[in-house]
Amino acid sequence: MSVKAISVVWPETEDPREKLLFDPRPTREMNNMVLDAMTTTSWRYWLVIAVLVVLVLIGIFGAWGYQILQGMGVAGIRRPVYWGVYITNFVFWIGISHSGTFVSAILRVFKAEFRRPFTRAAELMTSFALVVAGMYPLIHLGRTWRFYWMVPYPNQRQLWPNFHSPLEWDMLAIFTYLIGSTLYLYLPLIPDLAMARDYSTGWRGNLYRIMALGWRGTEAEWHHLKTAITIFAFAIIPVMFSVHTIVAWDFGMTMTVGWHSSIFGPYFVVGAIFSGVSAVVTVLLILRKAMRLDYFLRAEHFDALGKIILVFSAAWTYFFFADYLTEWYGGEAVGKELLTLQARGPVAPLWYLMLIFNVAIPLLTLWNKRIRTSVRGMLLITLGINVGMYIERYIIVTGALSRNRLPFNWGAYNPTLIEILISIGSLSTFVLLYALASRVLPLIPVWEVQEGQLSHRLRRIGRQLAPSVSELD
Amino acid sequence: MDDKTVTLVAFFVEIAPVPNTLDLLRQEGIDETDMTVISNMPYSSSILGRPMVWERLPIISLSGAFVGLLIGLFLNVGTPLLYPIRVGGQPLIPIPPSLVLTFELTMMGLIVSTFLGVLWESAFPSHGPRIGNPRISNGQIGVLFECAVDEKDRIVAVLEKQGVHDLEIINREERTL
Repeated sequence: MSVKAISVVWPETEDPREKLLFDPRPTREMNNMVLDAMTTTSWRYWLVIAVLVVLVLIGIFGAWGYQILQGMGVAGIRRPVYWGVYITNFVFWIGISHSGTFVSAILRVFKAEFRRPFTRAAELMTSFALVVAGMYPLIHLGRTWRFYWMVPYPNQRQLWPNFHSPLEWDMLAIFTYLIGSTLYLYLPLIPDLAMARDYSTGWRGNLYRIMALGWRGTEAEWHHLKTAITIFAFAIIPVMFSVHTIVAWDFGMTMTVGWHSSIFGPYFVVGAIFSGVSAVVTVLLILRKAMRLDYFLRAEHFDALGKIILVFSAAWTYFFFADYLTEWYGGEAVGKELLTLQARGPVAPLWYLMLIFNVAIPLLTLWNKRIRTSVRGMLLITLGINVGMYIERYIIVTGALSRNRLPFNWGAYNPTLIEILISIGSLSTFVLLYALASRVLPLIPVWEVQEGQLSHRLRRIGRQLAPSVSELD
Repeated sequence: MDDKTVTLVAFFVEIAPVPNTLDLLRQEGIDETDMTVISNMPYSSSILGRPMVWERLPIISLSGAFVGLLIGLFLNVGTPLLYPIRVGGQPLIPIPPSLVLTFELTMMGLIVSTFLGVLWESAFPSHGPRIGNPRISNGQIGVLFECAVDEKDRIVAVLEKQGVHDLEIINREERTL
């Protein structure tokens, strides 16, 4: 064979310096980038804040207040569908709350270095998503002021709450997760708050002085902090799994057809991580543009997160199909009716849209690196996934209740304006809290990025500049 | 600490000379407990050539988890025994559902105690004079140490040969290692 017959193709080479951890900048410059992003606000930012405040006032104070005054009759939940968009929203926001723990704790435990610049942005999402999720049991309760009956203490008749009820598990799991994820957000934040303290004056200086707790950066302080972060990372992962499993058990423990399934726990957890990581990408893309964080948030990060979303799209598809096929093959009359409702009934457009957003689009697009690193592409795909995941929860919650074992008791559910306004108000609450926090808290963990840059070096091997990583622990 | 001692911080722009500086301080008779390194990112004991810090935090965390476990057992087992409500066909203390709440409360105990443990071990919050130094936030590395007043000049001369970027004397009320 002639040598000349072989076509010559030069391999595409990537410059490793395009990656954040191989592109260090002076400490002062990096600090200033983070602080400038927090302190520089345009009129557009304040306009968005004003719109969000109005939506929160209408949705939470107006619509929810009206519901408290008038009673649950103003909501669309009627026999037989007693769980509507409030429970759908609850499950959705609990799902979003899995973003921070997965991105931060699991990637930290596995020492995935690309996690470093965006762990805090994801952790912040977890805490605020849990605040919004926690509102929904109160909203759904109707008589919100009776909430304290769930608190573990005996009432005047010496009766304790039923600790063997999934609803009681729910409350304690959410409290544990909220406390855990907020402390897990705060601990690694302390060194960056100390940095902000040293750079700030006025009200910011005072605020950071209080929040930094007197941090100096001594060996002992770092040692305690690193140990605590490791303990937290390992502790918060099973708590995260338990929270959405328990939410799934709220459904799975009932005898309702379509809910009574042993696969619901892991199916919900996979769906939560799928939707949570997608929401992280959406938020990071907005932050990158709005706060000019291009240095910290690069194509490599969206590429890596895109791969995670691809894997979880496949996993979600697997669990969905396993659940679907079991119901389909069983052939029970009510289950069959439920599946027919989804495939050919009034719910069908939503059901197919869910499959397009959660299965078709991610699996057909995210294998391509060019799409994974495209801002517009990733924004549309991740927004689509969260629309798809919302639809999935809506179909699970309302669909199964509309078709039960008593055909004379079948019904339909349509959300009312009050429910829609409360839903918009809660979404606005999340965005408002996040937008305000983004101007007060350093969203980029500067010390973690610098620590990563210290351990990453380029080594020349032949013609190649090869990335090498040292274990500094 | 008394009037016979002085506390100094030697600032370096990079980590490389810091372990040697610590060696020199040891040779000059400074005790291991009278010096520490201050930095804007964590450096391990092996990088600095320092003895391992004995960490009580895992013990505090496990103690908290144990307290959480006891609270979980009290709610799941103690309350039905104290205030029994017997329902036909159902056990008074069902084990599988009890495991869920016991797990949550154990983890709650672990998490809260770990956080309180960090505060306790690091003596936080401390809003007194013991505040950070802006040079550290700018990326410099400080070697904070305490020595006898009459040995100060000799030690400073030794440190200056090590390429120390700057030296700062800490006020008496700020001296806490």
